[in-house]
Amino acid sequence: MFEELLEDVAQTNGLREVNTWVKLAAGLSALVLCLLSTGYAGPLFIALVLSAAVLILARVDFRTYAELYLVPLWFALMSAIVIVLISGGEHPFWIWNPLPFLSLSVSRESINTGFFILCRVIGSMSALLFIALTTPMTDLFVVMRKCGIPDFVIDLAMIIYRTIFFLMDQVQQIYRAQVMRLGYSGWRESINTFSMLCGAAFITSWDAGDDLIRAMDARCYDGKFALLGENRPVELRPLAALIAFVVVGSLAVAVSQGMMLL
Amino acid sequence: MSHIVLEARDVRYRYPRGREAICGISFHFRRGEKIALVGPNGAGKSTLLQMFNGMIRPDSGMMLFDNVPVQYDTASLRQLRKRVGFVLQNPDRQIIAPTVYQDVAFGPTNLGYDEAAVKEAVATALRHVGLVGFERRPPHQLSGGEKKRVAIAGVLAMDPDVLVFDEPTSGLDPSGSEDLMELLDELNQEGKTIVISTHDVELAYPWAERAILLADGRIIREDVPDVAFGNPKYVRMAHLSVPTLLELSSELGKRGFAIPERKPRSVLDMVHIIESHLHGSCSHAAPGTITVCNVDEAETSAIPPWVKARPGIVVGAMGTRAKQCAAQEQIALEFTYGVIDKCILRALRGQDSLILTTGSMVGRVAARVEAYCKESGNTISVAGLDPANQPPPQGR
Repeated sequence: MFEELLEDVAQTNGLREVNTWVKLAAGLSALVLCLLSTGYAGPLFIALVLSAAVLILARVDFRTYAELYLVPLWFALMSAIVIVLISGGEHPFWIWNPLPFLSLSVSRESINTGFFILCRVIGSMSALLFIALTTPMTDLFVVMRKCGIPDFVIDLAMIIYRTIFFLMDQVQQIYRAQVMRLGYSGWRESINTFSMLCGAAFITSWDAGDDLIRAMDARCYDGKFALLGENRPVELRPLAALIAFVVVGSLAVAVSQGMMLL
Repeated sequence: MSHIVLEARDVRYRYPRGREAICGISFHFRRGEKIALVGPNGAGKSTLLQMFNGMIRPDSGMMLFDNVPVQYDTASLRQLRKRVGFVLQNPDRQIIAPTVYQDVAFGPTNLGYDEAAVKEAVATALRHVGLVGFERRPPHQLSGGEKKRVAIAGVLAMDPDVLVFDEPTSGLDPSGSEDLMELLDELNQEGKTIVISTHDVELAYPWAERAILLADGRIIREDVPDVAFGNPKYVRMAHLSVPTLLELSSELGKRGFAIPERKPRSVLDMVHIIESHLHGSCSHAAPGTITVCNVDEAETSAIPPWVKARPGIVVGAMGTRAKQCAAQEQIALEFTYGVIDKCILRALRGQDSLILTTGSMVGRVAARVEAYCKESGNTISVAGLDPANQPPPQGR
């Protein structure tokens, strides 16, 4: 239940009451800085600052954060290793030609490139996780409307958001009922039971859709959906922190421009 | 007699390719009444309820709102649905929006209120159900009782005259159910007509002013609860059971206890019957005093010292806001439901009590105590809370 976990963390995080625009500005500017940087130190610095913010200011549990971080990190690490092996370079430390058309090597240049890309991924990931963990979806709907996304898209998104949790709950209940009656005991049974789970989930969602329309009708639905606007003021301290972060981050990126590991 | 707000004249309804769900039902609700539709599963309760706000159109017969036949065009239905609020059995199915604020604001927004009016309506509704501060919470993080309250707030925000609840206490724990029934009483005190459907006779019996027993799409009996539930024949026909209090009183009656004309509706009534049988009367040497405090008006910070100065006093809270106030001032509550009756019971044993309550409920305390005193011949005094008041001398 990954989505639920992420959203639940976001709903209860320590920076929940900070103005959404400030948080978004911090995350997005970090993302842009990571993409602009050509040295490895800038993104690493940004990752460090944002991780500290998530762990200390937003008071996200360390284990949760580490788990969220590790999944994409493994992926990034493997990609970086592949880049190191195939990108070649002028100062090779090690070359191996297993096949006539394939040459694997580790060189100074390739290590620099791989490490730089890995750092960039870490920096960008921190920025995205910062947004995901501090800004719940419900606040993003407000931003979406401000950004001029058509109303029907937002309304749909909101209904989907609401329904996901309801459906997930239903599926979990059906699944539990199946497991209790040994539904997944063998390979054949598993397939059979899973098909029943899908069928039951479909019927449940159909039913829920019917009820949704009825519930909306009963409250005079007329194509309008309220949104609770952003009423949390931009406070001085978060704003100062944001400005300081952008200035120091830009400096770090500027100073480390072109910086290589080897 | 106040005027009729909702009326059905020989309505019939058959589900497509199904059996007849409603077979010729006629009734009327008066403004400000508390009505319970009681019947077993599949009796047609939900179908009937959905006719009240035009979700289901009867095949024949007529529904009237405010003595005007219900029209089924879009504009009239909107008008009807604004005035008849409907709370579904499963709040998960009723809550549409991703946050509490948005869900409660759904009705007012669609009624075309401007933003300030929507905010105002939402704030009022949330205060009513005691969910102030929940605006930004997503519904899936709330407990069952809280979800139910959100669903009710969503309907309240449209300020309907009639509130229809389908199985209001299903899925709630006993204390949640009691809280909810009290919220219904509070709304009724403000002049709203309340209709609930239930198969819980113990719940409906003390609460309702009128009970309608349904079975197989027909009305079996429509009367005040002690008559409707008191006849084992009707109760059996409706697949229900006789409420414990009624059964007990009829058994006591057969054993020579004097059962008054008005059947016991509460433990208090029952105690009165038993005590007057045992002692000949039920006069008590020195009944305690019931103090009433309106938390909307009183200086709430003065309550804890007032309570502290009177050791042994019991405190009860009626209504959501009173309970919140008690939590805020850290006052330990002895009673949170059925408060007036319980305080009268304590008073009869010579104990003093304090009732925290709000606005319209203050008058209700006095009225209930007065009615009881008149009936039983006791005298229990009801006083307003005056923080400046010195505590009474100890060892009374």
